[in-house]
Amino acid sequence: MKLTSIAMRNIMRNLRRSLLSGIAIAVSTMSIVLLFAFVQGMIDDMAMNIKSYSTGEIRIRNEAYSEYERYSPLHLTVDWPEILPILEQTPGVSAFVPRIQFAASAYMNGSNHGLMVMGSDFNYEDGFIDVREILREGRLCEPGKNETIMGAGLANRLHLTIGDKVTLLTNTATRGSNAFTLTIVGIAVFPVGAMNASYTMIPLDRAQYFLHMDSEVQEILVMADDSVKENTLASLIDQSILDHTGVQTEVKTWKQLNDLMTLMDIASYAYYVIAFFFFILGSTVIINTTMMVIFERMREIGTLAAMGMHGKELTRLFFLEGAIIGAIGAAIGVIVGVVITSYFGIIGLDFTDALSGIDMEMSSVLYPRTDYWRVLIIYVYAVATASLATLIPSRRASKIEPVEALRYV
Amino acid sequence: MSRTNKKQVIMVFMIVLFFSNLIHAMTAEDIIRAMDQNENYATSYMTGSIATTDRFGEKITTFKAWSQGAYDSLIEFTSLAERGQKILRNKGELYLYYPDAEELIRLQGAALRQSVLGSDLSYEDMTGEKNTLDMYTVSFDNEDIVHNQACYVLTLTAKSRTVAYPVQKIWVDKETYIVHKGQYSSATGRLLKEFEVLETKVIDNRTIPVKTKISDILKKDSYTVMAIEELQIDIPLDANIFTLQSLMW
Repeated sequence: MKLTSIAMRNIMRNLRRSLLSGIAIAVSTMSIVLLFAFVQGMIDDMAMNIKSYSTGEIRIRNEAYSEYERYSPLHLTVDWPEILPILEQTPGVSAFVPRIQFAASAYMNGSNHGLMVMGSDFNYEDGFIDVREILREGRLCEPGKNETIMGAGLANRLHLTIGDKVTLLTNTATRGSNAFTLTIVGIAVFPVGAMNASYTMIPLDRAQYFLHMDSEVQEILVMADDSVKENTLASLIDQSILDHTGVQTEVKTWKQLNDLMTLMDIASYAYYVIAFFFFILGSTVIINTTMMVIFERMREIGTLAAMGMHGKELTRLFFLEGAIIGAIGAAIGVIVGVVITSYFGIIGLDFTDALSGIDMEMSSVLYPRTDYWRVLIIYVYAVATASLATLIPSRRASKIEPVEALRYV
Repeated sequence: MSRTNKKQVIMVFMIVLFFSNLIHAMTAEDIIRAMDQNENYATSYMTGSIATTDRFGEKITTFKAWSQGAYDSLIEFTSLAERGQKILRNKGELYLYYPDAEELIRLQGAALRQSVLGSDLSYEDMTGEKNTLDMYTVSFDNEDIVHNQACYVLTLTAKSRTVAYPVQKIWVDKETYIVHKGQYSSATGRLLKEFEVLETKVIDNRTIPVKTKISDILKKDSYTVMAIEELQIDIPLDANIFTLQSLMW
């Protein structure tokens, strides 16, 4: 208690230096809170986009599709009418959607423009792409009609708008080619920039018709209940399809399919190391301040030692000063970091220009996100680093002989 | 032998040599003209099939085709998956018609080298203009035997960069002037495609290749066999067949 009072008095007595140390810790802590919030927001965003737009949590495909994927083997399909009742009866399946994605050329005024087409049953998209939400203008396509919802970036690139017609040329599931004309009935803003610039959506039945796929589909995406492990559900679906249809399919989870997410998980550990160095950097200010204080208060240290204060107590005194500055600085840093994170968590950070042309499942607008546990860990981490940093100069103070210290008078 | 006789023999020998060289130089172009003439019909109608074998198995497409002179041709696919699709070639222009598309697709430039229905044939191969000497210079290489037939071996070098195959080496039958074998290469000498006649038939005193095999060397384990089932030559055709209006019909 006595040491705490002395420590507080010393902090107040060197207020400017204390403030400088506190600000260094606050800035470091705030930076780490923001960095972690940004990284977490990015990981969450990519995970959501991969699940919604690319693979679902579980993806079902023809067993041979992946081997020949580079050749766009649309003839390697899965039987949607046969698999549909299996998924309806499988416990743990919360949503599923059949899709066909293929490359095509938009033929306009004698030249071809590459794009991607996603054929989907909009009735099943609710658990995946919220088509109504991303629709900027127009309406949804109607099954059986040659209609399309085009990404805003693609429509802009091709100078097309609602009501315009576009003829697409593509390869078919019979390994031939086909061309078909679609009317644009909606313009959508896909959150992923690369999709926005290259995708157009059409009803599943029209994709099947144009590609000569009968009732087959290229892939079925599945979402799992929160209570079910994705790996377990994938194995269950795989076995159920094999038992009911006698056909082996490829059933994989989104983490098995996306190396990038595994890399992001590894990268998040790297950020803890970066955070450590950030705090060390912030703590150098504390080390420097404490060293200056020790030199300035050499006479006082000598007096305290002459009055019987032990070296360990002197160390604890300076440790306490560092801990108090660290606690207050880190608290301020955490509060400011959380406030900034919350603000950008609502309005988002717009990276449209920076991400244009980058083919990653990352949204153009990112929303930083953090949680209380992460904030608490960062806070404790910051205080501990700041406190421990004072041990280095404090040890010097503890070794000072009273007689030698009094020479500084 | 007297001195005068010797001179006469030498003169005759030189004249023969001169004319044989002359004949030889002309022969290469004459061979090509004869080859083109053999391949060109005033009009023709044929039905046939294209069987493509690749890593995914065999795919068969059937077609009907009409041609007129060296420049006009129309192909209509009749197999179930491609039924109603058409390719029209007029001089320098190539159009695709698809029943589900509301407009014709005009192919030009590099697009003409795209594969027709996933086969080893390009649009240019299917409908190419038969005016070889306008596009290539020709040189005589040697003679060879292919499929037990004596052939001239000729090398064609493109006059411009607009052709699909800058260098062609062809084996032309000495009697019938059909091309028994061909090797098509890039300007740097890289082999692009190989062509071979598998079967011929005599129709109206002309020997016609009715089964040919073409392999796109750039595609692994892939080849296409094109077979003509029915061929009618020099028949009356409606001139409107080769117009854009009739294509949309």
